[in-house]
Amino acid sequence: MTATDPATTPGRPVPLDPSLAPPGARQFRDAGGIPADRWHADQNGETLVPTHCCFCGVQCGMYLRVDHHGKVFGVEPRNHDINRMRLCPKGINAYQQVNHPDRLTAPLLRRNRDEEFREVGWEEALDHTAAEIRRIQSAYGNDSFGLLGGASLFSEKTYLVGKFARVALKTRHVDYNGRLCMVSAAGANKLAFGIDRAGNPFSDILLTDCLLIAGSNVGECFPVMTQYLWGARDRGATLIVVDPRETAIARTADVHVALRPGTDSAFFNAVLHVVVAEDLTDEAYLAARTTGWDEVRKTVADHPPARAAEICGVPEEQIVQVARMFAGAGKAMAWHARGVEHHSQGVENCLSIINLCVATGNIGRPGAGYGTITGQGNGQGGREHGQKSDLLPGGRSITNPEHRRQICEIWGIDEAELPPAGTSMMEMVWQMRRKEIRGLVGICNNPFVSLPHYATVKDGYDALEFHAQFDFFLSETAANAHVVFPVTVWAEDEGVMANAEARVVKHNKAQEPPAGVRTDTWVICELARRLGAGDKFAFPDSRSVFEELRTASAGTVNDYYGITYERLEETGGIAWPCPTTDHPGTPRLFEDGRTYHPDGKIHLQAVTWHPPMDPYSDEYPLSLTTGRTVAHFLSGNQTRRLGALVEQTPRPWVEVHPSHGFRNGDPVRVVTRRGSEVFPALVTEAIRPDTVFVPYHWPVPTAANALTIDALDPRSKIPEYKVCAARIEAAERVDEVPAPPTAPGRQAYPETQASRTDPLPPTSPQGRGTAERS
Amino acid sequence: MPLYRDGVTEPPQTAESTSASGSAPAPAPGPAPGATAADGPAPRTPAAVRRRAALTGVAVSALLILAIVLGSRLLRDFDSALLPYAVATVFLAFGVAHRYTVWISAPGARRLFRQGWRSFFSAENFRKAPTALPKMIATYLGLQKFLGARSHARWIAHQLVFWGCLLAAAITFPLTWGWFTFTSATGSGPGYEMRIWGFEIAGFDALGVLGWLMFHGLDIAAVLVIAGAVYFLWRRMKDRGAITGQRFAYDLVPLIALVVVSVTGLLLTFSSVFLHGGGYELLAVLHMVSVVFTLIYIPFGKFFHIVQRPAAVGMQLFKYTSRREDEAGAEILACRRCQEPIDIAPYVANLRGTMRDLDLGFDEWAEYCPRCKRVLRGTAYLDHVKKGFK
Amino acid sequence: MMGRTIFIDPGRCIGCQACVSACRECDSHRGKSMIHLDYPDEGRSVASLPTVCMHCEDPVAPCAEVCPADAILVTADGVVQQADTTRCIGCANCVNACPFGVPKIDLRAKLQMKCNLCYDRTAYGLAPMCATVCPTGALFYGTLDELRAERPGVQVADSFTFGTTTVSTGVAMVVPADKVQWPVPGGLPVVEINGRDVR
Repeated sequence: MTATDPATTPGRPVPLDPSLAPPGARQFRDAGGIPADRWHADQNGETLVPTHCCFCGVQCGMYLRVDHHGKVFGVEPRNHDINRMRLCPKGINAYQQVNHPDRLTAPLLRRNRDEEFREVGWEEALDHTAAEIRRIQSAYGNDSFGLLGGASLFSEKTYLVGKFARVALKTRHVDYNGRLCMVSAAGANKLAFGIDRAGNPFSDILLTDCLLIAGSNVGECFPVMTQYLWGARDRGATLIVVDPRETAIARTADVHVALRPGTDSAFFNAVLHVVVAEDLTDEAYLAARTTGWDEVRKTVADHPPARAAEICGVPEEQIVQVARMFAGAGKAMAWHARGVEHHSQGVENCLSIINLCVATGNIGRPGAGYGTITGQGNGQGGREHGQKSDLLPGGRSITNPEHRRQICEIWGIDEAELPPAGTSMMEMVWQMRRKEIRGLVGICNNPFVSLPHYATVKDGYDALEFHAQFDFFLSETAANAHVVFPVTVWAEDEGVMANAEARVVKHNKAQEPPAGVRTDTWVICELARRLGAGDKFAFPDSRSVFEELRTASAGTVNDYYGITYERLEETGGIAWPCPTTDHPGTPRLFEDGRTYHPDGKIHLQAVTWHPPMDPYSDEYPLSLTTGRTVAHFLSGNQTRRLGALVEQTPRPWVEVHPSHGFRNGDPVRVVTRRGSEVFPALVTEAIRPDTVFVPYHWPVPTAANALTIDALDPRSKIPEYKVCAARIEAAERVDEVPAPPTAPGRQAYPETQASRTDPLPPTSPQGRGTAERS
Repeated sequence: MPLYRDGVTEPPQTAESTSASGSAPAPAPGPAPGATAADGPAPRTPAAVRRRAALTGVAVSALLILAIVLGSRLLRDFDSALLPYAVATVFLAFGVAHRYTVWISAPGARRLFRQGWRSFFSAENFRKAPTALPKMIATYLGLQKFLGARSHARWIAHQLVFWGCLLAAAITFPLTWGWFTFTSATGSGPGYEMRIWGFEIAGFDALGVLGWLMFHGLDIAAVLVIAGAVYFLWRRMKDRGAITGQRFAYDLVPLIALVVVSVTGLLLTFSSVFLHGGGYELLAVLHMVSVVFTLIYIPFGKFFHIVQRPAAVGMQLFKYTSRREDEAGAEILACRRCQEPIDIAPYVANLRGTMRDLDLGFDEWAEYCPRCKRVLRGTAYLDHVKKGFK
Repeated sequence: MMGRTIFIDPGRCIGCQACVSACRECDSHRGKSMIHLDYPDEGRSVASLPTVCMHCEDPVAPCAEVCPADAILVTADGVVQQADTTRCIGCANCVNACPFGVPKIDLRAKLQMKCNLCYDRTAYGLAPMCATVCPTGALFYGTLDELRAERPGVQVADSFTFGTTTVSTGVAMVVPADKVQWPVPGGLPVVEINGRDVR
């Protein structure tokens, strides 16, 4: 970098004001995108509205500051026991979405994709959408219309998505973006425990003696959860981190296992091999509480550390060390996230970790247990109440006749009318390409950035005859739709979410939505009314939906019946199952040793490792892995519009080891079998030499997901985001990050986009240091 | 220990100057071993500084008295009703000169003071860029454009107060000193002639526009000042940024003083125009008390920035001249680690001198940019203190 | 050392920059972040270092000492305030004299600004924004006893060496109790630059 001060250019006359200053001491462009002189803190009286963050699965409590005009203008830390006032940069800037200039404030409509969007009234947009749904369904059958939900919606809305698909659209094709997030963990949990949630609350981490974090960059993806990790270490716990990259938590961990992407189950099988070999298993526990242990023991016998060391590319001694550390601890705990789940063997990876915890007897005790860290705010709640293709409310199975009967009774429909199980999100895209699905409504998702293999996704969506999308900012996907419904942000409606601990928390309404904006609930109900199902969707607000959801979940494993809005406001959150209104909730599972299988036992599943789906070759020798950075969230439709976050991390990069010979900032082309893109190189020793990393929050031509493979786990149908074969080569210039899409006639708020065109990588994966470039 | 005043201490080298009570002793900076002869003889002990400041103050006050006597044609034009005002200005002169002397005796200010005046008197500078200084004065001291970058509203308000005060001072100070006289050949107008130091400058009709402006200049000034000061008062009650660390004596008293002076001044006009002089006596006393208080307050509080502000032009002129002295760009010091520009080289050299004067033994550090200082400290921490968690 | 102050522990820092965003939310300088977050181990690790104003006590506030306009005031509780808006002339003396690289100036506004320990919050007993939100406790606000209640046996240092000069500060840093005795090295003398020995 050279000086940006124009006065330093030789040959120019000295300006009258000759002042110059070193970088970072010149101005306040990092003012969160809002010019400093327009951002005041006038003490005109304010109200603090208690709520939670809209972003990740930690669900930190926060107060939104509301001025006397009723507008959200700031954030204040809240001493909620999940986060104890701590917030991450996303959470602190979240409030800026609420009155953001990029908000959509009128429905957008176009008859075909060659036209520009035009702003229309709600009646016209809703009528047109209902007419298109009827036209497509009468011509091609009910199943030709699909619905895709999202896991950042309140649970009430996810319930409505599932009900709308089955009762109003009468289609089998409904799924949600949690399919891209953590269904592998869900699948493994169901198989092993018969219940799909983390076994222990965050606070148990503080009590553990050995903490194993697998495939989770906690420091960046769940920053506020780090306090539990550090708290455990302050109390003497050891920390094991399994991650191909030396992340912020891996940097200081007691053991950092930098394994090759896609080799997790090989590693954990080998760890269990050592545990068995060294007689560190809890045989009494295994005999009393589990089934399938013999088979697991036989399988891991074939996975000696020497073999895993070769597969995983880690030292054999490290495997032994991890086994002794984990199994030797009085209370040990394992948490994992997308790093092990985003694989074509995602369910197996999770099962191999469950096997390790169970074999050492670390289940269902304070400080001993197992959990998965949900990525989306309602990643947990979003998969419980029926927007998943195979599930009905209360975690019921759509293939179970008894479950079908119960739900039909609650919904007041004939069982014959209830569609069968549908397909997963990625499969639905394939079906769109094959014209098996011809119309789609998308709610709260952005597959153009978030689904793998962008070319396929674009093809699939382009083949749709009709596509409507709900969003509050115009996402890349919505920009390709026929109709866009402007809906509320989280602070403009109330509702509940369930965080990574399965603790249900309540979000409160802080301000009225802008004119022209409606709640998702209202839009879904209006569409249902136009489709002739108005009587089943007479919901004036979230509360009425929640009342039905409670009833619909009563008696199931995911029992919400005892949870009411009032109780949530009093307690700050209740973990389900909570069958009665005087039940305290269930923060820790399996305390009585019983699981939710009919026999009450843990069903251990033997796992064998297989290589990732994208084969390595001389042409594609490296592993490409993808992930998040701390300043951005999912597809970035929200965070790429917030000035402070753009300032922190303006663009994606490719992280490469110095052994490849690139210098920091060099344009590097990342090539996979599905495409190639040029990113600036962030050269660091904190990544394996055989692995490169690209963060995924940006759209094409800077999208990691233009390169990733659309191979799915056969059971969970999660795409294999975390590993595909790739090569890197020198390139001319980096691909530029496009501006976020906006409604016609508007441009993305320029103050927030000031640093977007920075061609350099950030200093560190967490972002650019302050004061480096300006 | 630093000296505390009103809960706040000034930087130590000027502490004694700003302490109205003068009760606490100031820290002795001690002789600077690094000071060379080129730095010139400067009083290094607080007592010496105080002595010199008192002498300067007395000298300036004496000069002012002399100017008043001579300017009012040996007091022939002096209006004895304005005596309290004149006395207040003499005290003002003493206070300003005293504090100014103390101020520029501190190493940071002294060096910049020298360099500023050196640039000011540089003939070469004047030849190369004759318009630079007037332009700087106009944009910086007149239009105060930098305030617009802080906040547009504050800029407007400050401009109102600034021009209002300037106008008022331009009218009242010479009147007080007996430098201006308005005489009418006919005894009671409407034809008036204006004289300065007894010399006739202009004649005008009191009923004309010019005459109206002449006689209502202070009213116009008062309206400007009230508008600006009321905005600032409102802001000081609403804006949390302004409220933070706000002190009554420093931040609010000057605004209140301006408002009181302006309002009582306006009421005097109101009284004479609409009330036929009703309450004039009381108002005149109130006005006089508030003006005298404000004048005496200038050297001690916020108003002293009026005297200090021009230093900004000196600083700017110094940097400007330094950059002109060679080829453009050649005089810029780059960070020794990252090569990013830090500041103009003579300016950094000047700063290093200041740091040596103050016994800050890390003046070499000034040649590294702030980020590199932090990064080097971070590296040192990682290498020598701890790398990891424990 | 001040009673209630910030304790910085880079070993716990995850470099997330929550502090940087939170600093902007502080009402006394809304929209402007004063805290610094650097990645000093660039290219090798993701290590990070937050820097708030250290509120130097001895020598008291070098930034204030070099200020030609007497613009930087120190409050009785030892907090070095940001420049007084009426006095600051934007000369950048403080920027380049500060041994910790803390002050910023806005060149257009001719105004220095720096961390004032969230004076609007600390004056009322609240923790500064950065230390309130810090997800890891890398920035901790409180007394040493309060810190030790959370992390038994932790040792802190409040003096730094820059060449032959030692600067003692109001803000302290965590040091390992067994290995290093303070003062903590401040980075000067510089021994190497970009891998090149410059001694």
